[in-house]
Amino acid sequence: MLEILEALLFSTLDAAPALIFATLGGVLSERAGVVNVGLEGQMRAGAFVAAVAALYMPTPLGVMVGMVAGAALASIHGYLSIRWRSDQVVSGMAINLVALAGGTFLLEALYSPNGTPPIAQLPRWKLPLIHDVPLLRALSDHPGLAYLALVLPFIFHAVLNHTAMGLRLRAVGEKPHAVATLGLSVPALRWGAVLGGGLLAGLGGAVLSTAVLDRFEQHTPAGLGFMALAAMVFGRWTPLGAFGAASFFAFGNALRIGLASSAPQILEVVPQGFLLALPYLLTLLLLTIQGQRSSAPAALGTPYEQESR
Amino acid sequence: MGEKWRAAVPSILSVLLALVVCWIAIALTRDVKIAGEAYLQMLYGGLGQWPRYLEVGDGALLARPLGEAAGKAALLILTGLSVAVAFKAGLFNIGAQGQMVVGSLVAAVVGAQVSAPGPLHIPMALLAAALAGAAWALIAAALKLWRGVHEVISTIMLNWVAVSLVDNWLVVGPLRAAAGSGQSVSGTAEIHATARLPRLLGDISRLNLGFVVALLVALLVWVWLNRTRRGFETRAAGLGADAARAAGIPVKQRAAEAMAMAGALAGMAGAVLVLGTEFRYPGVLGAPYGFDGIAIALIGNSNPLGVTLTALFFGALRAGGTRMQLLGVHKSFPELIQGLALLFVAGRLVWLALLRKRRAVAAPAEVPRA
Repeated sequence: MLEILEALLFSTLDAAPALIFATLGGVLSERAGVVNVGLEGQMRAGAFVAAVAALYMPTPLGVMVGMVAGAALASIHGYLSIRWRSDQVVSGMAINLVALAGGTFLLEALYSPNGTPPIAQLPRWKLPLIHDVPLLRALSDHPGLAYLALVLPFIFHAVLNHTAMGLRLRAVGEKPHAVATLGLSVPALRWGAVLGGGLLAGLGGAVLSTAVLDRFEQHTPAGLGFMALAAMVFGRWTPLGAFGAASFFAFGNALRIGLASSAPQILEVVPQGFLLALPYLLTLLLLTIQGQRSSAPAALGTPYEQESR
Repeated sequence: MGEKWRAAVPSILSVLLALVVCWIAIALTRDVKIAGEAYLQMLYGGLGQWPRYLEVGDGALLARPLGEAAGKAALLILTGLSVAVAFKAGLFNIGAQGQMVVGSLVAAVVGAQVSAPGPLHIPMALLAAALAGAAWALIAAALKLWRGVHEVISTIMLNWVAVSLVDNWLVVGPLRAAAGSGQSVSGTAEIHATARLPRLLGDISRLNLGFVVALLVALLVWVWLNRTRRGFETRAAGLGADAARAAGIPVKQRAAEAMAMAGALAGMAGAVLVLGTEFRYPGVLGAPYGFDGIAIALIGNSNPLGVTLTALFFGALRAGGTRMQLLGVHKSFPELIQGLALLFVAGRLVWLALLRKRRAVAAPAEVPRA
C-alpha cells in the first residue's frame, strides 16, 4: 500500500511541473487581461527548441533557449493583441496551429518525422536525508525544475498579492483605465505579462523534452497546453489555485497509468477510454459546480484603447 | 469595390502571404527548384492535371484530383460553417472536433446496424449524426447559460471526452467490428451499401454526394442568417447581447439554437466522412477537421459564402498536398499554410491600416488624419 502511494506520488511529481509552469504562464497573462489560448503552441515551441538546443549545448542552457522560444511565439500574440487589438482568442488559436504545423515541418526537415535524436536529460537530484525514508523517498530523485515548480506558485502568490508590481498587474486586468490615470503604461504591463507567460509556457514545454523524455517527439505536448488552460480556470486565475489544479490533473494522470500497470484487472471493469476521459469530465463537473463568472479578471479579453472610457 | 468584397481583402492577402512564406520555407529547407515544382504539383493535385489532359484527353486526369479536392472541401465547409454559425451568435465553438467525432460514430452505427431502404438510409444516418452533434454541443451551451462556464473551456474539455470515450473505448470495445475471416479489423463494422453516399462520376473519381450536401447546407445557412427573422436575431445577439435583449430578443434561446446548429453541422461533417469515404468509423478519426474548421471560419470571415470559398481553396490545397509528398515535401504542409494564413488574418487590423495608408497616399485630396 505504502509502495503504491509512493509510486503515485513520484509519478505525480514527475508529470506535474510541465503543467504547473504552463498554468502559471496562463495566469500571468490573463491576470493582466490578455487571453492566452496559445499556451499549447508556446509549450510546443519551448519543447522543440529546448531539445534542439540541447543537442549543441548543455541541457540546462537548452532549457533557457526553449523558454526564449516560448516567449518569441508569445510576442507575436502580444504584437497582434496589444499593439493591434486583434481578437485574442483568434490570435492564440493561430499560434497553436502555426506551432503544430511548423514544428512538424521543421522536425522532418531537420531530423526525422518522429522525433529529434536523444539528448542528455536534466540531472536528477537525490535529496540526502529524504532519499532513504519510505514514502518521502518519492520527493527525491527529480530534476531541479520539479522543485522549482513546487516553490514558484508560492512566490507568484506573494508577488501578485503583496507587492506594488503585483497590484499593478492585477489592476491592468481589472480596470486598465484606472492604471493609465496613475501614469503607468497599460501596454507595457501587458507586454511584460504576455512575455513572462511565454517564458513559463516555454519552460513547461522544455521540461517535457528535457526531463520527462530525452527528446522532442512529434506529438509533444499532446494537449497539455489546453489542460493548462482548464487548470487555470479551475484554479480561478490564482497561482495557488493553478498549482492545486495542475497537481490534481497530474495526479489523475498518474493514477490512471498506475492503475493500468499495477492492477490490470481494473481495466476489465472500467474501460481505459473512460479513465482517460475522467479528468476532463471531472473538470467539467467542478466548473459546473463552482460557476466561474465571478472570478475571471474583469477586463479579460477586452483590448485596451486609450480613447475609450 | 463593394463593401462586402473589401472585407475579404485581408483574408485574400493573408492566404497569398502564407503561400509565399511557405514557398520560401521549402526553398530554404530544400531548394528553389523543388519549391517551384512542389507548388506546381500542388496545383495539379488540387485542380486537375490540365497539361496532361490537353495532351491525352483522359477525363480522369481532371476528375480524380478535383474529386479529392471536393471531398476534402465538403468536410471543411461543414466544420467551417459550424464554427462560423456559433461565431455569429457570439460564441466560440472550439468543440467542432468532438462534435464531429460523435457525429461520425453515430453515422457509422446507423449505417451498419440499421437496415433501411436505399433512399431513406442516407438521410437517416445524416440526421442521426446531426442530432448527436447538436446534443453534444448543447452540453456546452447549457453549461454556459446556466452556470457561466465559458464555452472555450467546456468545448475543449468535451473534445477530449469525446475522443477518449469514442477512440479509446467504444471503437476498440463494445462497437468494434467482429473480426471476420482471420484479418484483424480496426474500427466499427462496415456500413451497408444503402448508406453509402453515391459517387457522382462513377469509378473515375471519388467525388460523392457529400459535396452537394455541403454546398446545399451552406446555402441554407446563408438563407437562415441573412433572410430570416431568427437569423437576424441571432446575429443581433452576437453583436451585442445587452442591446439585443433590450430589443426584446430572447438572447439565451438564440445562443442555444446557434450552438445546436453548430453541433449539427459538425456532426454532419462526421457523417459525410463516414458515409462518403471511410465507410466505417476508423480506428482513430485522425484528421483534425474540427480544428481546421476554426481556421476556415476565421479566414472566411464567418460568412457562409466566405467559408465555402475558403474551404474550396483549402480542400484543393489538401488534395494537392498529397501530390507534393512525391517530392519529399511533408504532408502537413497545407496545414502550415492554413495556420500561417490564420495568423495573418488575426492581424486583420494591420492589413486594414496598411491599406488605408496606401489609399491615403493614392488620394492626397483626402483630409489628412490627425
